[in-house]
Amino acid sequence: MEPVSTRRLSVPATDDGIRAALDALEALTASHGLSKAVTWPVGVSLDEVLANVVRHGLEGRGGEATVDLEMRLDLGVEPAECEVVVVDDGPEFDPLSVPEPDRALGIEERPIGGLGMALVRRLMDEVQYERRDGKNRLRLRRRLVAMEA
Amino acid sequence: MHIGEERVGGALVIAPEGRVDSVSSTELERLVVSRIDAGEKRLVLDLSSVEYISSAGLRVLLMAAKRLKGPPAALVLCGMGPSVRTVLELAGFLPLFAVEAGREQALARVRG
Repeated sequence: MEPVSTRRLSVPATDDGIRAALDALEALTASHGLSKAVTWPVGVSLDEVLANVVRHGLEGRGGEATVDLEMRLDLGVEPAECEVVVVDDGPEFDPLSVPEPDRALGIEERPIGGLGMALVRRLMDEVQYERRDGKNRLRLRRRLVAMEA
Repeated sequence: MHIGEERVGGALVIAPEGRVDSVSSTELERLVVSRIDAGEKRLVLDLSSVEYISSAGLRVLLMAAKRLKGPPAALVLCGMGPSVRTVLELAGFLPLFAVEAGREQALARVRG
């Protein structure tokens, strides 16, 4: 088996596109026998990033806009590593610049929203943002080990 | 997304299955809102068949907890696997919810 397995795809900037991307990630990891017990943090993070891009960055452009994805599994290292790059041509936006929500607030004051990228930062080993060729490029990487808070 | 529902005494158990992501969470939200609007006061969310939950799903949990705050209303979460528990923990959400291990304990607690 090749130690590195990649999957490239473009999905529309819609709910169906998000679903297709998450399905593709599951299919890629499952095809190499990786358990959901170790892949779920990548799924959560990809959902957070795509929800941001589709609902904000590309909002209003509907099915015309697309998001390009490159998923890469490195099975030649122990533990295996998963990398996902998400590219969109929306306005320049670094999701890592969003401040974290205040975790000390009680249930009444807790704002609805602002949590997504905070989770991505904690779930991934590495998150990198880059504006290149007029596009936003976010790279997520995680070593596929079981995780418990 | 498939969402199971079971009425046990005066409580309603809602059990979503699979990913609770930014797309499927809207289905869960619609169902929970419709049940609360219909007068449901004691809700158990059984998360044992959830693969993972992202922040969109956490928003649904938070909304339900806010709407079912204080007696006689109550929301109890149960059946959290490692992925769900970890996300709630990382988000700082665990202290905001009544959490029980299994459905039986959750039902006992939600009835007060």
